[in-house]
Amino acid sequence: MNTGCNKRPFDAGRATYLTLNGLLLAFLLAPIAIVLVFALNPTPYISFPPVGVSLRWFEKFFRSPEFMNALFLSLWVAGCVLVLSIVIGGACALALARGNLPGRSFLTAFFMSPLMLPAILTGLALFQSYLLAGIGRPVWGLILAHTLVAVPYVIRTTLAVLHNFDRRIEEAAAVLGASPTRVFFEVTLPLIRPGVFAGGVFAFIVSFDQFPVSLFLVVPKGETLPVVLFNYMKFDLDGAIAAASMVSILLALSVVLVLERLIGLKAYVKL
Amino acid sequence: MTSATIRLDDVTKTFDGRVLAVDGVTLDIAAGEFFSLLGPSGCGKTTSLRMIAGFERPDSGRVHVAGQDITDVAVHKRDMGMVFQSYALFPHRTVAENVAFGLRMREVPKPDIERRVKAALAQVALTGLEERKPGQLSGGQQQRVALARALVVEPPVLLCDEPLGALDRKLRQQMQFELKELQKRLGVTLVFVTHDQEEALAMSDRIAVMNHGKVEQVGAPTEIYERPRTRFVADFIGEINILEEGGRARALRPEKIRLVSDGARVSGTVETANFLGGSTLLRVSTADGRSLLVRETHAGERASRAPGDAIGLAWNDSDAIVLER
Amino acid sequence: MISRRTVLGTGAVAAATLAAPSILHAQTKTLKITTWGGKWGEIMKATVLPAFEKEFKCTVQADQAFPFVPKLQASPKNDPIYDVLHTNSNEQWNCLVEGLVMPKITAKEVPNVADVYPYAVSDKIVGVSIFTSAIGLGYRTDKGLAKPTSWKDLADPKLAGVRGGYIIPVNSLGQCHLMMLGKVYGKGLQDLDAAYKALEQLKPIKLVDFTGQMEKMLLSGEVIEGVIHDSGVYRYDGQNQPVDFASPSEGVLALEQVLNVTPGSKLKELAFGYIDYMLRPDVQKLLAEGVWYSPSNKKVKLDAKYDAKLLTTEAKVATLIQPDWKWYNARKEDIDARVTKILKG
Repeated sequence: MNTGCNKRPFDAGRATYLTLNGLLLAFLLAPIAIVLVFALNPTPYISFPPVGVSLRWFEKFFRSPEFMNALFLSLWVAGCVLVLSIVIGGACALALARGNLPGRSFLTAFFMSPLMLPAILTGLALFQSYLLAGIGRPVWGLILAHTLVAVPYVIRTTLAVLHNFDRRIEEAAAVLGASPTRVFFEVTLPLIRPGVFAGGVFAFIVSFDQFPVSLFLVVPKGETLPVVLFNYMKFDLDGAIAAASMVSILLALSVVLVLERLIGLKAYVKL
Repeated sequence: MTSATIRLDDVTKTFDGRVLAVDGVTLDIAAGEFFSLLGPSGCGKTTSLRMIAGFERPDSGRVHVAGQDITDVAVHKRDMGMVFQSYALFPHRTVAENVAFGLRMREVPKPDIERRVKAALAQVALTGLEERKPGQLSGGQQQRVALARALVVEPPVLLCDEPLGALDRKLRQQMQFELKELQKRLGVTLVFVTHDQEEALAMSDRIAVMNHGKVEQVGAPTEIYERPRTRFVADFIGEINILEEGGRARALRPEKIRLVSDGARVSGTVETANFLGGSTLLRVSTADGRSLLVRETHAGERASRAPGDAIGLAWNDSDAIVLER
Repeated sequence: MISRRTVLGTGAVAAATLAAPSILHAQTKTLKITTWGGKWGEIMKATVLPAFEKEFKCTVQADQAFPFVPKLQASPKNDPIYDVLHTNSNEQWNCLVEGLVMPKITAKEVPNVADVYPYAVSDKIVGVSIFTSAIGLGYRTDKGLAKPTSWKDLADPKLAGVRGGYIIPVNSLGQCHLMMLGKVYGKGLQDLDAAYKALEQLKPIKLVDFTGQMEKMLLSGEVIEGVIHDSGVYRYDGQNQPVDFASPSEGVLALEQVLNVTPGSKLKELAFGYIDYMLRPDVQKLLAEGVWYSPSNKKVKLDAKYDAKLLTTEAKVATLIQPDWKWYNARKEDIDARVTKILKG
């Protein structure tokens, strides 16, 4: 800590720093504030100043079987994507970092490519592939599609941890009598876990908020929340949309908080 | 504690099929010996150690421990202890858990683990730090944890890869004494990799000096110092003068040269005088056009040679050792 | 001891049991359609579709998630993702060019087509229009505005900044409005130069993507007069909202709800049956009164409240102007570029 700071009457650098941070924070949080105002305002359109506070849109959201089905489908899909991308992404990252694979940089680029491709094209391509293969559009197809775009996040965060990983720690465990399997579970996995879980948080949110990939891959009566919201907006633009957004934000936040409690946020800050 | 002999039998290792890291090395290490592998970086000392540990498999040659060929035995079945320069502690586990790890892998009963961990930590003077995480310890403390973790399983062989390299000078000297004392008390066979010749001379029973993947000379510290066999060994250990005479190279330690007023072999002029505390190292340019290092030890009063002083130098023929190459 | 006969018998029963679901599946056809969401979707799902499924002994898979046309384009032509495509008229024209829908639907395939107003199967329609809305002007009744009588009223300088239009490249109401400007200020619907000039005069104007937003702008008062379809205003009937709809004297534009069958459909007969069903007077009445759409079937008798406002007579239907979407779509890129430039400033 810079204790000299308190003594000085004015520190221009620090003031600028704090002002910029404040502005950035306001820029990031202002949309959420507007959504909240819209969600609590009883009129079916945004009005400033708000004419009152009401939970009618939240009630409409939670009472609508369509919204609820979509919400639970989205949560279920995002949960599956979280698990799948942790396993697949973690394994890919380990293989890329450790596997002495030929053409490693090519493979890394390949695994990252879903990030570079516009998601709408990924969705469209999978839609066509599924139809041509005669699979139709089952929920697991949607989960796989989301996993495809979520895995690179896990690979990224896991590779970041593996990059700074001291392999002597694994060797120390081996000398002490740990078989390769035990080394993995006793040492490697616990040490890369923060990176894997940080990627998992991204994967969950990427899936939960996923719109472009889902657009083509959802089936009637099996639409995820973002798709239902998008279509709802075309016909009924009211506060239920804002209420749904608030619920989404709170759910995503709670997932982050729960994982933070489980594994500690400090681990991601290093990334 | 038991100890074991180690034998490297004509061991060779190349990396990427090109770089010859270890080139036909044969070593016999006695049970209970403090044995150092000394050399500059890239000389093959660490690779040799890693072949004993089992991290690298020799391309040819065999590795024996306690008379058993263990060349094809997996690392985790070799029952050795190892201490790394980076300590390689498990950062997610407490001190006690770190030390208990090897015992847990050996499925030692829980009460025994607790008792032995406690004893091992007492041995390295870390009692009371059991619940700390490695990140909360100083470098010296971490090194002691690493040592306790390696020794608690009572390995017949302890491998140390520049274990003191990351410590500051004062702490390093203290740890040198402690490690040596501990090794003697336990009687473990210790293979010590270092590039620090002073450290090797101070601690070892025997030293193998390595260069370009080959062993140049094996011997006790005094032998290595006083009777270097090759130019490389002579040059690597301490200060040395190489005299070329009649197509042969001779090595002459600076302290073997006397400053004389009569009967000088050669006269010269002091170029520089570096005061080193217990001695002064002079660089002298001789009348026959050579440059010689001369160590003048201070017994009693401090000498007062200064650059520009004219001096006479003498030495015994037996102190100028003939080198092989 | 289990006899050979028992084994055979058990085997046969097992085989029959295993086969049963697939036989059942083969008998229950699934008609894949697109349909709107919102109130329309509620009525369809609650009443219209269940009754259809019961009568035609099939199931209906109704896709309410946009975008319909790209999904249809991306699916195999010989096994399209939809049997019946419900869109507005302009999209049907795009689909026809790509061979994704049938060009015409006649009374031969769909008997109720015999009873529709001519506009529903006119040469401006691909497929058949089952309903239409009238695109005119929505306005606030509490801002001292006279009820608009002409499209030109939108250019009133008093309305600067509070008049509403659409982002023309993405909204067919905006496209209709542009063509109407050509007719009102120039030689006709296809007089683009006159339309561009007139559009310039409408600035500053609030632009939205879709009609739901225009409704909200009118309700909140951000826009006090704007282009909108009658159903977008009438749906607030009885909710005490100070908004009303005006049909300009130059005529209203048709916003048709068009049904069509995909050529690759394996259930064409059922698909035609569905369109015929949607044209039945009772179905038409239910949906028309639910969402304020004007029914295409001449025989539909609406309740007085709806009859007064919707296009339910030959005379009222005659005020409908149908844009030539084939003509418009062919020029869409140029028009998009031009209007974007005009409205950017």
